[in-house]
Amino acid sequence: MHARLKTIWKTRELSTLFVLALEVAFFTWYLWPEGGRSHPFFNLSNLVLILKYSALYGIAAIGAAMVIISGGVDLSPGAVMALAGVVTGHVFVVQGHPLSAGVTAGILTGLTCGIVSALLVVAVKLPPFIATLGIMGIARGIAFIITEGRFFDLSSRLPAGWKPFGLPADWLAPIVLVALAAVFQYLMQRFQWGRAIFAIGGNETAALFSGIRVGRVKASVYIVAAVLASLSGVILVAIQGQGRADLATGYELDIIASSVVGGASLTGGRGSVVGAVLGTLIFGVLRNALPQIPGATFYDRLIVGVVVVVIVVVDQFIARKGA
Amino acid sequence: MHRWAARLVVVAVALAFSTAACGKKEEGGAPGASPAGAAASPAGKKYRFAVMPKALNLPVFFYARTGAERAAKQLGNVDVIWRAPEDADPLKQKEILESFITQGVDGIAISCTSADLLNDPINKAIDAGIPVVTWDSDAPRSKRIAFWGVDDFKSGQIMGEEAAKLIGGKGKVALMTSLGAENLARRLDGVKDSLKKHPDMKVVETYDIKEDPTRSAEMIASGMSRYPDLAVWISVGGWPVFVRNALDPIDPAKTKFVCFDTVPPAPDLLKTGKVQVLIGQKYFGWGSEPVKLLAGIKEGRMPAEKKIDSGVDVVTKDNVDAYLEQWKRWEKGEE
Repeated sequence: MHARLKTIWKTRELSTLFVLALEVAFFTWYLWPEGGRSHPFFNLSNLVLILKYSALYGIAAIGAAMVIISGGVDLSPGAVMALAGVVTGHVFVVQGHPLSAGVTAGILTGLTCGIVSALLVVAVKLPPFIATLGIMGIARGIAFIITEGRFFDLSSRLPAGWKPFGLPADWLAPIVLVALAAVFQYLMQRFQWGRAIFAIGGNETAALFSGIRVGRVKASVYIVAAVLASLSGVILVAIQGQGRADLATGYELDIIASSVVGGASLTGGRGSVVGAVLGTLIFGVLRNALPQIPGATFYDRLIVGVVVVVIVVVDQFIARKGA
Repeated sequence: MHRWAARLVVVAVALAFSTAACGKKEEGGAPGASPAGAAASPAGKKYRFAVMPKALNLPVFFYARTGAERAAKQLGNVDVIWRAPEDADPLKQKEILESFITQGVDGIAISCTSADLLNDPINKAIDAGIPVVTWDSDAPRSKRIAFWGVDDFKSGQIMGEEAAKLIGGKGKVALMTSLGAENLARRLDGVKDSLKKHPDMKVVETYDIKEDPTRSAEMIASGMSRYPDLAVWISVGGWPVFVRNALDPIDPAKTKFVCFDTVPPAPDLLKTGKVQVLIGQKYFGWGSEPVKLLAGIKEGRMPAEKKIDSGVDVVTKDNVDAYLEQWKRWEKGEE
C-alpha cells in the first residue's frame, strides 16, 4: 500500500513539473523576439526574477500544503507574513537592534501566531477556516497598530549591495525555498510525523484509533505553517527593504491555489510539498509572462482562474477514474 | 502516462485560451506577433514602452491609459504595454517593474505607489540602458530621467488664491487632507503659504479624512455644525466631490468650497453650485506626455528639466461647460 501511494505521489509531482515545463515552453515560443532582440522571457535574469518572487509564496505554500493535507486550511499566511515583516522592521529599524534580532523576533511572532491557531483548532475545536480567519484579522490588525500606516525602511540600514551569507540578495529566497522543500518533502514521506499528517487528513477517526496523537500532530502542522509564513515575511522585508502592514495582502488565496494546483486535495489526505512549490512556480511564470503580452492587462485574473479550475477539474476526474 | 496525457490537454486548453484572449490586440506588432508583422516605423523598429499606473482599480488612471494610447498612435512607432497590479500593492508593482527590466522593454513610465521602494529597480533599469520617467507620483531619490505631473506646492497656492478671491480675503477657513501622503502635504503647504498673504483668513481646523471619501461626508457635516459661519472649505484631495451627497450640509450662499480633482461626477457639483472652484490635474496627459518623453529620449532628445510641471486646470462655473466638452474629446482619444 505504502509503495503504491508513493508512486502515485511521485507521478503527481512529475505531472505538475510537466505542466510547468509546458508552460515555460509555451511562453518561450509565444514571446519569441523579433530579429535582434534578446528573448524577453527565456533569459537567466528573468528566471532568477521568477524564482525570487515565487519563493516568497513558495516558502509559505510548503506549510499551507501540509495544513491542507491534514484536512485543514490556513487563511492566515499573508497576514502572518506582513506581521512578521513589520515586527522585524520595528526591532531592526526603530529599536536599532541587529538584523539577526529582528529576524528572530519576526519568526517568534510567527511561532506565536501558529500556537494560537493550533490552540483554537485543537483545544477549542474551532473549524480551521474560522480559527485562521480570526488569526488573519488579528495579525494584520496588529501589523497596522505597530506601523500606524507608516513603513519601516530596512534598506536605509542595510549596506548597499547587501549580501546575506555572501550571496546576492535575490538568491536568498530561492535557496531557502529549495532547501525547505527538500527537508519537508523528506519529512512528509519518510517520517512517522509526515505519514501521520496524511493519515489524519485521509480519515481522522481511523487515525485516532490507529494510535496517532491527532491533536499533537495537527497542532504541529499549524505551528510549522505559521513559522514558515513568518520566515517568508522576514525574507520579504529583508530583500524588499520595507516593512509595511499592507504587504502580502491576499497572498493566502494564491498560496492555497498553488497547493491545490500542485495536487493537494482540500478534503485532505492527498497532496505534496514539492507539488505546492511547483504550483507557486506555475503562477509565478504566469505573473511574469502575461505582462509581456500587450493588451492582456485585464485578462490576467481570468486566465489564472481558468488555469486553476481546469487543472483541478481534470485532476479530480483522473482521481475518480483511478479509484 | 495516462495522467500525463490528460494534463497536457489541460494546459494546452488553458494556454490556447490565453492566446485567444490576447490575440485580438496583437496586430500592432507585439513581440508575439509573427516577425513579418513588425517594423512599422521608418527606422524599422517599434518601441515597446511599459506604462504603469499605481493600480488598475483606480478610475483616474483609466484616462491616463486613453492618453497613453493616443500618444502611441500619433507617434506610430510605439507599443504601449499598460500594466499595474489590480490594487495599489507596492510589492506587486515592484515585481511587475522588475519583470519589465528583465524583459528588456525600451522604456518605462511609472506612477509610483511607494517612492523609495522603487528606487532600486528604477536605478537598475537606468543602468541597464532602459530610460525611466515617472508621472503623477514621483520617485525623486531615484535616477529616473524626469517626472511629469502636478507641482503640488504651486497647485496648493492656486487653491489658496482662488479661495481668497471667493470670500474677499476674509473669513474662517477649514482645510481637508489625508495625513501621510507626501503630495497632499505639499499641497497643504502651498495652501498655507498663499494664505499668509491674507491675514484676515483664519484656518480654524485641518481635517484628516484618512483617504476615505465616506469619512469626508461625516467631517463636512460635523464641521458645518461646529462652524456655521465658516467662509470656505479647501480640500486638497477629491474625496468630497466623489461622494454625491457629501456637500449637502453646506449652504453655498454662506460657505464656499474649493476642491482638488475634476474627474466626473465632480463637474456636476460645480453646475449645482455646491462647489465654486475645482482644480483639475492632466489625467489624460499622465499617459500621453510620458510616452512622448520616452520616444524623445530614444531619439536623443533629453528633457530639459528633471521635474516637468504639468500645470492644472482651474475649473469654475464659467468654464465648466467648455471643460466638459474638452473632456469628451479627450475621452475619444483626440487632442
